[in-house]
Amino acid sequence: MTKLTPIERVKRFFNREPVDKMPFFTGMGMVLFPAISKLGYKFPTIHRNAERLAYSGVESARMFNLDSVVIPYDMCWESEALGNKISLYEDSADILYPTIPTKKWQELSQVDITQHDIDHIMDKYPMNLIPKAIKIAKKEAPELALGAWQLGPFTQCGQTIELDKVLKAVFKERKRVEDILDKFSDMIINIGKALIDAGADFITLREPGVAADLLSPKTFKDLIQPRLTRILKAWRSPKVLHICGSTDPIAEMMWEVVKDSGAQAISFDIKNNLLESRKKLGNDAIILGNYDVFKLPCAEETTVEQAIEGIKKNVDSSVDAVWPGCDLWPAIKSENFKAMEKTAREYKTGPTPAVGRL
Amino acid sequence: MASKKELQEALKDGVINYKEDQVKEASQTAVDEGYPALEMIMDGLAAGMEVVGDLYERHEYFVPEVLMCADALYGGLAILRPHVPKKDGGAIAQVVIGSIQGDVHDIGKNLVKMMFDVAGWQVYDLGRDVPLEKFVEEQLRTDAEVVAMSAMMTTTMLGMRKVIKMIKEKNPNVAIMLGGAPVTQDVAKLFGADGYAESAGNAVAEGIKMISRLREYEKKK
Repeated sequence: MTKLTPIERVKRFFNREPVDKMPFFTGMGMVLFPAISKLGYKFPTIHRNAERLAYSGVESARMFNLDSVVIPYDMCWESEALGNKISLYEDSADILYPTIPTKKWQELSQVDITQHDIDHIMDKYPMNLIPKAIKIAKKEAPELALGAWQLGPFTQCGQTIELDKVLKAVFKERKRVEDILDKFSDMIINIGKALIDAGADFITLREPGVAADLLSPKTFKDLIQPRLTRILKAWRSPKVLHICGSTDPIAEMMWEVVKDSGAQAISFDIKNNLLESRKKLGNDAIILGNYDVFKLPCAEETTVEQAIEGIKKNVDSSVDAVWPGCDLWPAIKSENFKAMEKTAREYKTGPTPAVGRL
Repeated sequence: MASKKELQEALKDGVINYKEDQVKEASQTAVDEGYPALEMIMDGLAAGMEVVGDLYERHEYFVPEVLMCADALYGGLAILRPHVPKKDGGAIAQVVIGSIQGDVHDIGKNLVKMMFDVAGWQVYDLGRDVPLEKFVEEQLRTDAEVVAMSAMMTTTMLGMRKVIKMIKEKNPNVAIMLGGAPVTQDVAKLFGADGYAESAGNAVAEGIKMISRLREYEKKK
C-alpha cells in the first residue's frame, strides 16, 4: 500500500481521490495542552504571537499524528481589528480563550465598516499576524496540511455587536442586517483569500450562529444561505462548510451551499443525526464531524476503551474522515486522543461513502 | 373601561405577537384600574409566554421571536411587578444565575432569567464572564436554592464542573441547572448537575413548563 504524507492524504481526500487510510484531522481550532506544555508556553501567550501560534499548532499536530495544523485558534481576530478590545485572561489559571468583554458598537445603527476596512483588513493588527503564522507553520511542517478558517458573516456580526440585538434585528431592521452581513461577507472573502495566499491548504467556513435552534430554516434560506454561498464561491478550493448546533433541519440547504459554491465537504457537530444526514445528502457528499470533543478525549471518566468506541461509532455513522464536531478542547487526555487517532486509522480500511482507498 | 379579562387578553396577545407598546399600555391601564397585578402577570404575560413556548416547540417561533416576546413581557413586568403585594408575590425561591467565565454570550441565560422573574423568584444575576468563585460566594451569601449557569462554547463549559464541585462541597442541597449549546445530557450528568437545558430555546420550553405549573398552583390557592 502506498503511504501518503499527511498533506498528500488531505489533498487527495478533498479531490475525492483514493487515500491510503482514514484521514484524522480538523479545520477548526486545535491547540492541545500537552503540546504547549512541552513548548513551555502559557495558554494566554500563544494567541497574538505568530511564532507561538505556528509552533503550538505544529507541535499539537505532530504529537498526536493529526494530518493538519490549524491556525488560528480564537474567534476575536476580526472584531479586534475593527477596534474592539479583547480579554486574554492572562491572570487565570484555567484555559480560557480570548473574548470581547464589551463591544464598541452597542446598536446596529452604529456599525461603521468602511470599504477601507474591508479592503485593508489584513493590514490591521492583529490580522497581519495570521499570514505570518501560516508561513512559519508551512516552513516548519511542510509534511502537514494547513487548515485556516473564518467565521461566517452572521456569527462574525455577533462578535462585533451583541448577538441578541442582531437576532432581533433580523425582524426589526432587516435591511440594515442585510447590509451589515454583506459588508462582513466582503471582509470574510478578503481574509479567506489572504489566508489561502499565505499557504493554507484548505479553509473552513464556520457559521455556528445560524443553527436551527437559533434561526428558522426559512431565515437560513433567505438571509444566510446566499451569503455563505457567495463567500465559499470566492475562495479557492479545498473548502469546507461547518455549522454547530441543530443542523438536521438545514442539512440539505447546507449541502446546496457546498454544491453551489464548489466547496468540497460539509461538517456537523455532535447534535446532528449523521446517519439521517447521509441518507438526505447521499454518498456523493463528503461528510465530516460529529465526534464529541469533550466526552471522548477530555472527560476524566472516559476510559481509553470508551474513547475508542466513540470513534468507531463516528466511523460507523458514515463519516468520510475523522474530524471533530467543534474546536478540540486543549486539555485532552493524551492516552485517549492517541487511541482515538489509532482507531480512526485502523478500524475500517475500506472506502468511505465518498472517498475510495488506494 | 376595559375589563380585567380584556386587559389580560391584550397582555397575552402583546407578548405572543411581540407588541411591546401594547403590553406596556395594557399593564399601565391594569394598574390604573386597580386590577390585581399578580393575576395580570400570571393570566396575561405568563399565559402569553406559554403560547410562545408552544410556538417554539412547534418550530413556528425561533430565538429572535422569543427574544422579542421577552422584551414585550419585560415591558409589562416592569410596570406590574411593583404593584404585587408582598403577601401575594413574595419571592418563591432564590436563584443565582450567570454565564461562566470565558463566555460573553448571555442570550440563554437572559431567557432563563426571564422565566424565574415571571415566576416570582428572587433572581441574583451575576451577568456574564463570571469568575467561578463568584457563583459560590453569591450562593453562600444569598442561600439561594438554585444556581443556574450557562456556557455557549465547548471551550468554557469545563468551568461549570468546578463550580458544581465547589458548591456541592459546601452545600449539597443546592440544585444546579446547566444550559448552553455545548451542554448535553451526558455532560450535565458527568458534571453532577441537577437540571439541564440544551439550548436557549430548550431552556425557554423548560422554563415555560415551570410557569405553567406555577399558574396551576396559583389557581388552586
